[in-house]
Amino acid sequence: MIFGRKDQKPIRIADKQVKEWKYTTCGYCSTGCSIEIGMNEQGKAVASRGVADADVNRGKLCIKGIFEHELFDAAGRGNHPLVRDQIHDQYKETNWDSALDTMGDKIKAIQDQYGKDAFAIVSTGQLLTEEFYTLGKLARGCIGTNNYDGNTTLCMASAVSGYKRSFGSDGPPGCYDDFSHTDCLIAWGSNLPEQHPVIYWRLKEAKEKRNFPLIVVDPRVTMLAQFADIHLPISPGTDIVLQNALMHVILKEGLEDKDYIEKYTTGIEALTACVAEFDPTSAAKICGIDEDTIRHVARLFAKAGKAMSIWTMGLNQSTHGSDAITGCNSLSLITGNIGVPGGTSLSITGQCNAMGTREWSSCSGLPGYRALEKEQDRNDIAEFWGIDPEFFPKKRGLAQTDIFPAIETGQIKGLWLVATNPMTSMPNTSRIRKTLEKLDFLVVQDAYKDVETTQYAHMFLPAAVWAEKEGVFTNTERRVNRVTNVQAPKGNSKSDFWIFSELSKRFENGHKITFPVTTEEAFEEMKTLSKGAGRNLDISGMTYEKIEKARGLQWPYREGATNNDEGARLYTDGKFATPTGKANLIPLPWVDNNEHPCEEYPFWLNTGRVVEHFHTRTRTGKMGNLNKYSPTPYMEMNPDAAAKLGIKHQSYVRIASRRGDAVVMVQLTQRVAPNAVFIPFHFHDCVNRLCLGLLDPHSRQPAFKQSSLRIEHVDQKLAAKMNRERRTY
Amino acid sequence: MLDKLEQFRDRLDQIGAAEKPVVAEGTPIFESRKGEQSYAKLADVEIFDVNTYGKKIDLIERTEGKLPVGRSMNINENKAVGDNPNRNKQHAFHFTADNCIGCHACEAACSEKNDNPAHIAFRSVGYVESGSYPDYKRINISMACNHCDDPVCLKGCPTKAYTKHVEYGAVLQDPDTCFGCGYCTWVCPYNAPQLDPIKGQVSKCNMCVDRLEIGLKPACVSACLGNALNFGVVENTPENRVQAKTSMPGFPDPSITNPNIRFQQTTSTQREMTRTDNMPLKYHKQDDGSFRSVVDEKDGKEQWWNLARLSSRENPLVIFTLFSQAAMGAFALIFLGPLLGVESLIGFAESGAGLSLLVILMAMQAIALLMSTLHLGKPKRFYRGFNNLAHSPVSREGLGVALFFGFMGAFTFFQGIAWFFELGLFNYVANAFGVLALIGSAGGLFYMYRSYRIKARPFWDHWQTACAFVGSTVALGTILTALVAIIGGAQLYPLLFDLAPIAITGLVIEAFGLYMHAKHLNVEQGEGAASHYVQCTTFGKTYMLRNVAVAINVLAVSLLGLLAPSGWLSLLWLLPVISIVLASTVSRALFYVLVIPTTMPGAFFWKNKGFEQHARDVGLADMPQVGVIPDLH
Repeated sequence: MIFGRKDQKPIRIADKQVKEWKYTTCGYCSTGCSIEIGMNEQGKAVASRGVADADVNRGKLCIKGIFEHELFDAAGRGNHPLVRDQIHDQYKETNWDSALDTMGDKIKAIQDQYGKDAFAIVSTGQLLTEEFYTLGKLARGCIGTNNYDGNTTLCMASAVSGYKRSFGSDGPPGCYDDFSHTDCLIAWGSNLPEQHPVIYWRLKEAKEKRNFPLIVVDPRVTMLAQFADIHLPISPGTDIVLQNALMHVILKEGLEDKDYIEKYTTGIEALTACVAEFDPTSAAKICGIDEDTIRHVARLFAKAGKAMSIWTMGLNQSTHGSDAITGCNSLSLITGNIGVPGGTSLSITGQCNAMGTREWSSCSGLPGYRALEKEQDRNDIAEFWGIDPEFFPKKRGLAQTDIFPAIETGQIKGLWLVATNPMTSMPNTSRIRKTLEKLDFLVVQDAYKDVETTQYAHMFLPAAVWAEKEGVFTNTERRVNRVTNVQAPKGNSKSDFWIFSELSKRFENGHKITFPVTTEEAFEEMKTLSKGAGRNLDISGMTYEKIEKARGLQWPYREGATNNDEGARLYTDGKFATPTGKANLIPLPWVDNNEHPCEEYPFWLNTGRVVEHFHTRTRTGKMGNLNKYSPTPYMEMNPDAAAKLGIKHQSYVRIASRRGDAVVMVQLTQRVAPNAVFIPFHFHDCVNRLCLGLLDPHSRQPAFKQSSLRIEHVDQKLAAKMNRERRTY
Repeated sequence: MLDKLEQFRDRLDQIGAAEKPVVAEGTPIFESRKGEQSYAKLADVEIFDVNTYGKKIDLIERTEGKLPVGRSMNINENKAVGDNPNRNKQHAFHFTADNCIGCHACEAACSEKNDNPAHIAFRSVGYVESGSYPDYKRINISMACNHCDDPVCLKGCPTKAYTKHVEYGAVLQDPDTCFGCGYCTWVCPYNAPQLDPIKGQVSKCNMCVDRLEIGLKPACVSACLGNALNFGVVENTPENRVQAKTSMPGFPDPSITNPNIRFQQTTSTQREMTRTDNMPLKYHKQDDGSFRSVVDEKDGKEQWWNLARLSSRENPLVIFTLFSQAAMGAFALIFLGPLLGVESLIGFAESGAGLSLLVILMAMQAIALLMSTLHLGKPKRFYRGFNNLAHSPVSREGLGVALFFGFMGAFTFFQGIAWFFELGLFNYVANAFGVLALIGSAGGLFYMYRSYRIKARPFWDHWQTACAFVGSTVALGTILTALVAIIGGAQLYPLLFDLAPIAITGLVIEAFGLYMHAKHLNVEQGEGAASHYVQCTTFGKTYMLRNVAVAINVLAVSLLGLLAPSGWLSLLWLLPVISIVLASTVSRALFYVLVIPTTMPGAFFWKNKGFEQHARDVGLADMPQVGVIPDLH
């Protein structure tokens, strides 16, 4: 008898002594999971758990959310504002008043000397919506620069642009519940298990309850591709060719929803003419998917009762990003799959509040999806804020990706970076490094003072992070959810909301415009601005209390609304936000401007996420229980290709493109094609040094995923040393 | 007597022990979330009578009612009893390999709940992969403790830190009792027990028995985002699942421990599944569809020296085993020799050299014991090593060696009295202790051998281990005696000729074992063969040199025995003596560094021994967020 011992050993299970659970919304990706942070008696965050009765995540969290309580104390947080005259000087600590005075003076000096637009602002998708709204007020209403944008240009600009072109307005029309109703789903360049694991779980749950065909378009055999019923290993950057061919088959075989097209869309003639050139036989030669499969998928999609598309960066980050989004939209429109349960065209967004910045930050216009180009919108906002409408520019200024070249050539002299890290995240980062050197004045406002851009900054403003603050996020399915103050901002850091409000006092208009003290008051302002007939982005029925109680509410949620599912889908009545009220079917002519592999640079370079990291690792790179799964940069490479070059598994190589080089560790796997490699983008001084990043003509989003590189042997000891030095976090 | 010892032990245990938590009555065992979802709740409807291995699933029945139903588990000193109606049934994980996406949510939820640092993981996800682009397949494997029916960890643990509970059949380990020898981490085929070099103790999956007590599935299962991991009474196939198999590709042979985990793996697989970590292993599909591990020659055929890599964290055990065996051999020689009337050994004893040797042996054995103690995570708790004499070969080995040491001490003492005071009577007392020391050493040596017969470590699990230990005992014991004889002076040289054949016997035993072992490994598959592959490549040149050295040593000793050099030429004996010591050290170091356990496949960074070594070599391990503990010695 080896068990059944009578003497009992004590059983000790870790008890974190949680005294209180505080409700908030996860601050990583845009899935929008409701999360509770466990506080111990000393008021320290010690545990995280999913909120079981929240509809989005139903109690689940991904690896990042599970350890989110640790980020408050992650290394490298800023404590005091720092200043210096020159970037080769040492930083000196200062107080907030003095820092903001200096900042105001410098901005005004630059604007006086070089013009209003010589000072640029690049923000993020990480702040709270009220903060975005307030930053918009400050940038558009007080500072008055037109060179103001968000880093969402790197991730969702193509989706925004595609939605605007097809439907007349931004705003994903579908929701996660569509998985439970669809009869066919195409995932374009989206690897849910790695990027949005909780959305993947919602998909899996739906599929286990009621199976439907899953088609995955991805050049790499991701986990989602493996689980797909049909995997289409497409040639990089040829999505619109495949989309045109699918529409070609649908229209040629008469599988389209003629009634829907007739009633709710315009442009079918031009579309038909364009896709006529993309017969499956010709298209197959370009996109690498054989013609039979193209026909099969087209018929499957068109004949399914309800069909939907989802996509992420695989589409957005290409030179035809915006076009490809309209391609998804058109596929849905010609088959009558918009605004119905299970029929939609749904972008799976990146950052936790990319939607919030799109809606309210005034980056590309004015708050609440208003446009600078519309006089009425300018007047409405100027009146609401109490300033002269002539203070607003009449046309949108530069996008993030155009701001940096303008610094390079001297039109822009000052830059304010808010919670974004272009030294790691922009394509061709060595060019960005040189660009930042040229600035007369660079302010970095971030929770982390070790963010790489501080190497080039004249001022660092330590911001509070995530649930040290109070406000709302909007997720991928337009769900507004609450971020509540879980614990006080670390050290002497301040909420971005406070920083924006305080800085406004340094400007003339800052004394005309009201900057509320609490985010809830700002939310009330936004509610007022969201009212209006035909306005989909309507949050006037929401309150902080109602939102938390419902675990998030989707807009439109109009004044007096009681049905929490009212905002599940947009365009249910077939009425779109275009001037005609009809959706636009947009032809997608094909120009191949991808940087193809060649003799000198024989491999396709593809980049993407891994589940354990978020963006530039400022948070996840410091938490061992996340970082340990990929503590250093690596490259997935095909073993057959490696054998030809004599490259060994788990050795270092130097990779080089026409722009720069990097050192990575090789992981040999048949997951990637023999002429392609995959490298996660999270690491500093790594793959983005190589990316070309041609800009999409509509969205100005860079094509991170289609460039070419070569692979060279490198001294293993030197490579290891460099790798060690570059991974201080 | 035994009672008193146990009381004494318990009192020692109180020194520096953690304080017991105080729990107010009525405190829930675990606090459930509001609106908990059904996926997190245990849902066993039907329960079978016996499991796949023919054992009763009801654990009260299995233990024949020795323990009561409705006993409190005293989790964190909470006296409450859970209301789970199936709490006395054997529970098990169910893993749908078809579904795992490798998202690490299970591992994260586990580490979050158990407050584990990055370098400790009760659950880990690795993977195997196959095919060629785009017909590529990766199967992720999430693995924790399988709460086995035959828990080898429990049997092997010398401190009795493990208990298999009649509640849920959970195999739980008490880190406070553990003294950090790491033996459980050797015997477990699934890498479930986690040795923390910083805390100097092992901890492991606790099945989340606190959650089970209130009817919730473990944290890892509730966190699963691929609908891969599930949990319930063993043999139950979860809703929507069709299989409850006992194996899947990459999983070790379930017959070793009868693990309580069941699998579903229905999608088709290629014939060969490879590992991304640096283990030279892959998995090959058999005609019956099951997979077995075979050698994957990842580093080609090239042969290396890699002398520096012979040094490992098991160095203290290299010294412990070699010193102990040498001492045992030499003791047997000088004790039995005179009793059997071997004249040269009688002369050796009478000259006083015997006594000198005994003092040396005592010192060597003391060092050996010190080494084995310092090898522990908590050396001050060494006395717990005797807790599990009923099952653990390590406990018995320790006892045997300790008795040998004690009785050899007594023998030395009384022989000393007899020699110095010329009191022949004390020789009889000494001889009585000598017999006891001999018995102790035989037991110690036998269980030293048994300790390495580990099914999860096929390289050791061969009778060659016995040959190596006996061979070393004979050969090293002999040359140690010879060394003393050489130093002792010319009058002792005749002894060398008597010792030569004994030394040769020892060397030949070892050589025969090595030869048969290599022969066995050349036809064998799996982890043992993989060890041999590493032996022939990574350490190829070292291995060849050792083999040649063993042969030369036999020849040299034979030659010297025949030629009988005299005068200063007798010092030639020193050459084979040194060579034998070096060859034995290399042999024993290889023994430890070569073993490849039947663990689960790792991932590219995480649970990849190759990357861990690299991280230590280049200093990445100095950053705690890398999750690799730097070398502590």
